[in-house]
Parts: sequence; C-alpha cells; structure tokens
Amino acid sequence: MSKLFFDKYISLSKLEKTFSQLEATLEEKHELWQLVDEIIHHRVLNCILTELPKKNHEEFLVKLHSAPHSEDLLVYLKEKIVKDIDTFLSMEIKSIENEILKDLVGTKKSKHEK
Amino acid sequence: MSKTAPNYKTNKTKSQLTAESIRQKLKLKHLEAANALKNAHPHVQKFLEEKGLGIDKLRQHSAKILGTGILASGILLHPPLSVDILPSSEELFKNFSISEKAKEKLYEGSAIAGAKEMLTSTFSSFLPQTVRPLYRNEEKFLENIVTNLTGVKVKATLEGEHLNTIYGRIGAEQHLRRYPGDTLTQHGDSEDQAEGMAPGLGAWGYFAPDSTSLTDDLVETEKWYAVVQTLYLSDWNTRQPYLKNWYKYRKVMIVNTENGNAVVAAIADSGPAAWTGKHYGGSPEVMDHLGGSRYKKGPVLVFFVDDPTNEVPLGPVDYESVSLDKLVSLEYE
Repeated sequence: MSKLFFDKYISLSKLEKTFSQLEATLEEKHELWQLVDEIIHHRVLNCILTELPKKNHEEFLVKLHSAPHSEDLLVYLKEKIVKDIDTFLSMEIKSIENEILKDLVGTKKSKHEK
Repeated sequence: MSKTAPNYKTNKTKSQLTAESIRQKLKLKHLEAANALKNAHPHVQKFLEEKGLGIDKLRQHSAKILGTGILASGILLHPPLSVDILPSSEELFKNFSISEKAKEKLYEGSAIAGAKEMLTSTFSSFLPQTVRPLYRNEEKFLENIVTNLTGVKVKATLEGEHLNTIYGRIGAEQHLRRYPGDTLTQHGDSEDQAEGMAPGLGAWGYFAPDSTSLTDDLVETEKWYAVVQTLYLSDWNTRQPYLKNWYKYRKVMIVNTENGNAVVAAIADSGPAAWTGKHYGGSPEVMDHLGGSRYKKGPVLVFFVDDPTNEVPLGPVDYESVSLDKLVSLEYE
C-alpha cells in the first residue's frame, strides 16, 4: 500500500472516466496513471513550497522524506502556511485535472481540424 | 454546454484518444511540472538527491516506508516466535463489545442477522477508522472471525502470497468483455447493465476465445469478478509468469466492513490506480450485493479463499449455513 499525505485531496473522477474508456493494455494504463501521479507530486510540492516560508523548507523536506504518508505533515503545514491548505491543494489538483483534460481535447481538435 | 466548452464527454472524442496520444501529452506536462519545480525551488532537488529520493519515486518511497514500518512494528511487538504468543481469536474477541442489537438477534434465533451484526460490531471495535495495511496479528484475528462467521475458510496470506493491504476501499467497475463480440445485453438484467462495459479487456484478456467456448463457470467468473492492485505488488515484475498465473481468477472474499455483506469473487483485472484512493474494484453484481445499486465506493476487507478443491461457489456468502450454536459459542467461549 502506498499513501501520500495529500492523497485525500486527489479526486480525478473525470480523468479516471476518460482513461477507463481507452482501449489500452494494462501496462499502458498503468503508465498513464503513473504519469498523472508524478505530475501531481511535482505540482503539489511546488505549490506547498511557494506558500511555505523558505526557512521551513528543509524541516518540511526532512519530514516528507521520513514519513511521506503521515497526516502530521498537514498539521505542520497548517501551522506554517497562512493560506487555507485544504482549499489551495484541492484547487491545485482540480486545476491539474482540468488542464490535462483540456490538453486531451486539444489533441482531438487538432487531429479533427487536419 | 456552451459551444466553446471542452467537449471531452462525447463518444467521438473518446474514440479518437489513444493511449499513445495521451502518453505524449502527459510526458510534456510532466516535464513542464518538473522544470517549474526545479526552477522555483532548486534546493529541493539537491536535498532530495542527497537523500537518494526522486520526486517521481515518492509513492514507491512511501510504500517502502509503510511496509518497513509495519514489519518493524510487528517484530517489536511480536518477535519471531509471534505465532505462539498471538492472542487467540476468542481472547481478542472477548475484548470487543458486541452490540446489544447483535445479542438480541442471536437470542431471537436470527443467525444471519446475528452473524452480520457480530461482524460489523467487531469491525467497528477493531478496525482503524481510516484504511491501512494491517499488522499480522490483526489479520490473523480477522481471518478467524470471518472464517467462523461465514463458514468459508479465508486467509490474508495464501501459499506465501499477500496483497499490499487487505483493508482498503473498493470502487465500482464495469462489465468485462468475455469473448470477441460480447455485448452488454448479455450481462445480467438492466440494473446490472447500467454500469456499462469496459472498452478495454481485463488484465487476463478475454475469458473465452468465442461465445461457444464460454462455460457457465466463466460466466460466473465475470459476473462475480474482483480487481486488485497486482501491479503495485513489490515482486510483480520479478516473479512472472508465476504471479500472473497465480492471481488469475483467484478466489477472494470481499467483506463490506460497514454492513457485513460478503461476496466470494474471482480476480479478473488489475487496478485501480493508486491516486484514486481505491485499492480494489468489484463487478456491478459484486458492488450491488455489497451495498446495493447505489453503492460505488466503501471500505472492505479482502481475503484469499482457501479452496484447493474448488468447492466454494462464487457469489454472495450464504450466512444461513452458519450455525447459531457456533455464533453463541464464539461469544461465550
């Protein structure tokens, strides 16, 4: 089992539906899921580090490295970050989903236009 | 919907998307996200590199830590001879309060409702609120309780194989195509068909090469199929083709921890993705029995069924076969 402290904010139902409609092998689907997962990791970390005061970056990264699943990380971030973390993480993830879906529609349109 | 809104919901769009075209788009997006983080916070990459951790490997790193933690705690709490010192299910059972409702049902002679009440009561006393991998002694205890209350021998570890977690969330799946040309109308009644048919095949491909080769057993296998995260097993890639064969149509018992409904199902697909927050999937029939037609997601326990002679039928667990005497003796032993 794998868990990351921000998993509870990940809700990608539209993307999940789109992927489930694909005629793809199990390995192909797994690779797509993994890419989405990794995009989220980069974006969420970027988002958190932008809001977190720089003096706390190292402490946060040490905690992340030792227990990436721990909800204590959220408690820590809530103490150190002024913005409402529940809202901005949910919004960031929703925004990633929308961007990806938009890109996929773009793929379809450009093919159609040709 | 406005004319300019993204129209990703149409079938036309879906049919034009391929795994490769999506993969290319996602690769670009991935590069973009990685560069943005690197440019905005260059010290992060340096720090993680020093620790030997890439952001791309964050989930694997978490799995490793969780796995090591469970193992280490297990060793600390129960050293190598732990099997001898594990409390028996009866001992543990005495520590949990069985609801008055369950007791009343037992005394009234309603074995089915009593067994279910006893299971759900035990789950609510025993299981953590959020799903997580369980310790070996927790698994052992639950194996005993579920085996005793359902009459089906279940195991968290069978023939040395173990899922990453036996306590997780299940999500609704669509029907699987059983043979080339199979259509949705051939799958159950209209309620069962409402979930639709998955466009792709299950992890083990078609169940039969054509409609005439589709046996009753295979019909039942698709009807009562389960999805487990075989791809996240740490040894999945290194123990092939053994693991793929071992898991194919392997019987599991799925127990809804909220209401005690249980189904014996056959593993016929791999998934769901880790980020979905789900750990297993169930066919429309499985989900319907676990929680009704509107049940789409919820916490469950998943055990392997120890059935070397293939005697346990797929489908809903029949609590009627559980004797009332056994339930009462379990409580008061």
